[in-house]
Amino acid sequence: MQVSEEYKTLVEIAEKTSGVFGTLGEADAVYVVVHANRILDKNILPGVDIQAEETESGINATINVLEGVVLEKPVHLCFGHLGDSGSQVINSNIFIGKGARAEFLAHCIFPNAVEFLHAMEGTIHIGENASFSYKEVHVHGPEGKIEVRPVSKVTLEDGASYFGDFTLVEGRVGNLDIDIDVEARGESSRVEVTSKIYGKYDDFCQVRDVVRLTGKNSSALVKARVVLKDSSSGRFLGLVDGAASGARGHIDCTEIVQGRAKAEASPVVTVSHPEAEVTHEAAIGRLADDKIEGLMAKGLGEDEAVDVIVSGLLS
Amino acid sequence: MKESLLYLDEVSVTRGGAQILDKVTIQVKPKEMTGVLGRNGAGKSSLAYTVMGLQGYRPESGRIYFKGKDITDWSITERAKSGLTLAWQHPARYEGIAVREYLRISSGGKADEETMKEALDFVQLDTSYLDRMLDKNLSGGERKRIELSSVYMMKPDLAILDEPDSGVDLLALGDITRLFRKIVDDGSSVMIITHREDVAARCDRSYLMCHGRIVLEGSAEAVKRYFLSQCRPCPDPDAEEFAAEEKINASI
Repeated sequence: MQVSEEYKTLVEIAEKTSGVFGTLGEADAVYVVVHANRILDKNILPGVDIQAEETESGINATINVLEGVVLEKPVHLCFGHLGDSGSQVINSNIFIGKGARAEFLAHCIFPNAVEFLHAMEGTIHIGENASFSYKEVHVHGPEGKIEVRPVSKVTLEDGASYFGDFTLVEGRVGNLDIDIDVEARGESSRVEVTSKIYGKYDDFCQVRDVVRLTGKNSSALVKARVVLKDSSSGRFLGLVDGAASGARGHIDCTEIVQGRAKAEASPVVTVSHPEAEVTHEAAIGRLADDKIEGLMAKGLGEDEAVDVIVSGLLS
Repeated sequence: MKESLLYLDEVSVTRGGAQILDKVTIQVKPKEMTGVLGRNGAGKSSLAYTVMGLQGYRPESGRIYFKGKDITDWSITERAKSGLTLAWQHPARYEGIAVREYLRISSGGKADEETMKEALDFVQLDTSYLDRMLDKNLSGGERKRIELSSVYMMKPDLAILDEPDSGVDLLALGDITRLFRKIVDDGSSVMIITHREDVAARCDRSYLMCHGRIVLEGSAEAVKRYFLSQCRPCPDPDAEEFAAEEKINASI
């Protein structure tokens, strides 16, 4: 396969699955396209600095969005591999400068992977009054046992906001182990972390979202939506620690189990400051009959009704 | 039975060891508004669920006929596809589904923007609701109206409306009745499940239910008069059960 074909395929899938068309390849958008350990294309605009180097098994990258810079269009990071085996290790350090505003859309595309390791290890630092949204969408093929290991450490300064969104609903999950650790140390900093996962066959999904609210009046919402079918299994650990005056946190986890699938949820709330408050809700089980029957009464078949409900839950 | 759109022939249903419908015989005629009136716990919603074929509400005896066909063993989907639907007393909160999608599903995937606008106009909501999510920032009354607009989208032969007036804020009784009458004028029949005699009185014909039985059938006005003069609130069945348990415990 030629480089241009790899590029074309990755971009096509990225656009189709994100619903954002035309941005990749445009002169007024920041993007990086990586296949395996090769940077196929990149575009960098003033206000953004990207230093990336190819390593034996992937990429090391440092990304800076400079102070006060507001990016109108999302930054696309397209990491993929079109082969059926191998590994890709991405190490990244992201700095969002004071008052900056940026949205990153990471496309992780492995449509043919059967025996594959995709590891991402990164740090994110969000400066004072800056806002950063990081959405990671995975596209896997219908076969295989890809191993996915995203590990992130995020820190927020005063008035900073972080919106993290991990979605893996296309193709097989394989073996997924997400580990997100956020420290909202800035006053009035705000965190939202969402995970949406659809496990099938014998997939295994583990999500570990930890948020420490150490900044005065900081807040966090940790949300997980996991649907497991066949004989897949999943484990969700959400921990929010209210450790400062006025800190507010909430964990909201819903896991739907179908077939022989198994789910486990551990929403952990800890409070170490008398003026902090953290709440949680967790529900594990099958889809409610009244929801399925409600759509059947509109003329949908049972399977169609389940598909509509699951799609909504994971949207 | 021949002129009936829906005909229940001595339908009995037992659930959790209790008989919730006892030899219920009713009929709904084409283009008719039929009321089923009764106090809370009379079995009205159970009747609606039985007609729609919900899990746990399969008759142990008796048959259900719709448009002349025996639908007793049909699935909910088969019943819906044949022109029967149910608007729920408490519409489900579907996460991540917009009103637009819900109305599109209700129309069998055929709805265009103009028809959806009509459906929302029908329940006095504007088009800004199309992009609202069913599980977020909608009051109980708004969800109820959207449920009714989904019935409008379906254009069924028979719509069973379970307590359609409860929680529909701001709509006066006259507005609600006009809304049901519009469904009938558009060619559907309506079966209204209600505990309000003034709602049942607006129907063409009514049934009175008590303890899972039909105790009276007649003109809506006659049923209303009987209801007001004879019917008293039932004791809370849960409280009764609790009292019985207490009595047993005390005797031990």
